[in-house]
Amino acid sequence: MKAIKGKRLFAGIHPAGRKISSGKPLEQLPPPEEVCISLSQSLGRPAVPVVEKGAVVKRGELIARADGAVSSNVFASIAGEVTDIRTMQAQGGEETFIVIKASGSGEEFRYPPLSDPSPQEIIERVKECGIVGLGGAGFPTAVKLTPPCPVDTLILNGAECEPYLTCDHRLMLEFTDEIVRGARYLKQALDAKRIIIGIEDNKPDAIAAFEPYPDIAVVRLKKQYPMGGEKQLVYSATGRKIRPGKLPADAGVVVQNVATSFAVTEAVEQGKPLYERAVTITGGAVNTPKNVWTPVGTPLQALVDFCGGEKAAPSKIVQGGPMTGIALPSYDFYTHKTTSGLLLMSAEEVSLSEPTPCISCGKCADACPMKLMPMQTDFYAEAGDYEAAAKQGGALNCIECGVCAYVCPARRPLIQSIRKTKQEMRKRK
Amino acid sequence: MTQAEQTKSQVAVSVPPHVRGRRTTRGIMLDVVIALVPSAVAALVFFQLYALMLLLVCVASAVAAEFVCYFISKGGFAHKCSRAGEVVKNWARQFDCTSVVTGLILALILPAYTKWYEALLGAVFSIVLVKMLFGGTGKNLVNPAAAGRVFLFISFSLSAGALLTDGVLTTGATYLSGTLLSSGSLSGSASYAEPVPTLLQLFLGNGVATAAIGETCKLAILVGYLYLVIRKVIKWWQPLLLIALSGFVSVCLAATGGTFDITLFPDYCLSGGLVFGAVFMATDYVTSPKGVWGQLVYNIALAVLTAVLRYFTHIEVMSFIILLMNLLTPLIDTYIVRKPFGYKRERKAKEAVK
Repeated sequence: MKAIKGKRLFAGIHPAGRKISSGKPLEQLPPPEEVCISLSQSLGRPAVPVVEKGAVVKRGELIARADGAVSSNVFASIAGEVTDIRTMQAQGGEETFIVIKASGSGEEFRYPPLSDPSPQEIIERVKECGIVGLGGAGFPTAVKLTPPCPVDTLILNGAECEPYLTCDHRLMLEFTDEIVRGARYLKQALDAKRIIIGIEDNKPDAIAAFEPYPDIAVVRLKKQYPMGGEKQLVYSATGRKIRPGKLPADAGVVVQNVATSFAVTEAVEQGKPLYERAVTITGGAVNTPKNVWTPVGTPLQALVDFCGGEKAAPSKIVQGGPMTGIALPSYDFYTHKTTSGLLLMSAEEVSLSEPTPCISCGKCADACPMKLMPMQTDFYAEAGDYEAAAKQGGALNCIECGVCAYVCPARRPLIQSIRKTKQEMRKRK
Repeated sequence: MTQAEQTKSQVAVSVPPHVRGRRTTRGIMLDVVIALVPSAVAALVFFQLYALMLLLVCVASAVAAEFVCYFISKGGFAHKCSRAGEVVKNWARQFDCTSVVTGLILALILPAYTKWYEALLGAVFSIVLVKMLFGGTGKNLVNPAAAGRVFLFISFSLSAGALLTDGVLTTGATYLSGTLLSSGSLSGSASYAEPVPTLLQLFLGNGVATAAIGETCKLAILVGYLYLVIRKVIKWWQPLLLIALSGFVSVCLAATGGTFDITLFPDYCLSGGLVFGAVFMATDYVTSPKGVWGQLVYNIALAVLTAVLRYFTHIEVMSFIILLMNLLTPLIDTYIVRKPFGYKRERKAKEAVK
């Protein structure tokens, strides 16, 4: 359907896009020698290993089973031998990894493809294939497909509002039909009435690609960060507001990332479990920015090498986007299902200034897409009064998009204060 | 974890976001300084050397006072001043121009006949007692310049207006619409005649006695206001609301003694220090409420109080009202809490379900 304009957000920012890799087609990474696949691939408990040290596994074979509803199955991303199961430091703390050494046999495991599946079969397959939200949160998709209340709208998130990242953009251009088919399966599973895809207006080619499909309503979103935030996207695309502490389903909506939709198509039609994904490797300090199909558990060093190595010594290594990603001290880490990007940021690109005193300018509150008061949270959190920090600043409703810290002229570590407040409040409950 | 915790390999690790906007505190303060330049120029035109002296003394002593406080608090005198050089370097690095703004504003809200030592005392009072003793930038409870002005006003009775004609400084009543003060002449000069100035005179500031050198020319203030709005330093509606509402309430109060005369409205708006205070002092970030609703309440209260107190006291009260509202700001911030996106009141939500 012809694209319609989405609602403007009442607040937000316009950071420089710097989508330098948007013209680079997706490439396949040559299988790495060794992968370390974390058992914590989604929210919830880590998966439980079902292979022993020394086991020979095919590509796509189940190596760890989900433990509980919000955990997800984990698959071997290369064919080879399990050489170790060990605990290491990962991006978000200690995690247990299954180490697989490549055998080069290239054997693959696939589930039987489904033709004309029922909603139940789709949900079962999504769960079986370990599909999680690939936008970054890593919430198991199967859980989202069984909402607590009826849903009439499925929204595909193609906003990709983070600067630098382009993997979803490439996916939308190169696999338009697969994404649409995935959306139809998701719609069927949800028993929804319509499919909306939201794409920011800095990707006119992607918008044009989806317009020919009669059952897809395309919404041209204003380029505004954080347009891809779930609540913001739902508001912009449908005008519905999700109440604090509620799920999109309460507003009759389920949001799925376009990459998730693509993974669903592959799982249903080819029986391919989620063991690889598109990753953007970019930034001012990398030689040739690329969009790469990457097996889960690939060492970051392999990705950097594939992109021609460092152009200059990076000032920051960031996994994910520059607004919400995690800064890493080195390349000694491995990709997850939720890894959408690897940024090697040069000194000119990053801001490393020290925080100065808050001058209460209120710019953080004016820019906050959740209508919170980050300066109040910062003020009370610094004083150790977390109750007041949560109450006065509304920190518990924060989506941690980073807008407040982006605009802060005093360079306050606002996100840090908000996270600390959330942590402390969780402890007290 | 500090913002820029460095590892061996020189790769920085910090919390997101990893890109930042270009705005800094120093940049904002420089914008305010630029916005004050037209008013300072107007003051130099109207009061010549008197204004020059005030501007220099206030800015220099404000910056010096801040430096001394910083030097002492960071241990510049400790260990036989061995760390003095380092402290001075740190001071220069963290210098955010807030003391320049304070000094400038204070100079611009003093009358032309203020003695140099009075101005110096005021600036030191503003910086040391009002700002640095409370913790420096961002920690002061009240507007330093307003507090300095009130301190001088009470200590030296600087209430009369001043006018420079042909190089002779005369003092006289500050023109506050409808209420002309009788005032003794200071330093022996004859008090000037008290004709009611025309609106154009009020706007441009020529031939009108004011109790502050920077409040004279409204045109210059307007230029500064436009600059601040374009640079998004202040919100456009705040000064407008304050000035217009204050003018309207003044008209209404005047009507209690006779007829309701709306033609007095521009007169009320343009007279005295209202415009300057509304643009440069009531919009001060640190001492005004942080949320939009709080700012609305703050400006409405300021407007009403200014109009009411002007009506009953017949003197320029803007600084006093600003101080009073500064003290109420934490209260406003505590009780007017912003509701998060999507919030609905419980009662309404129940109705919606029905």
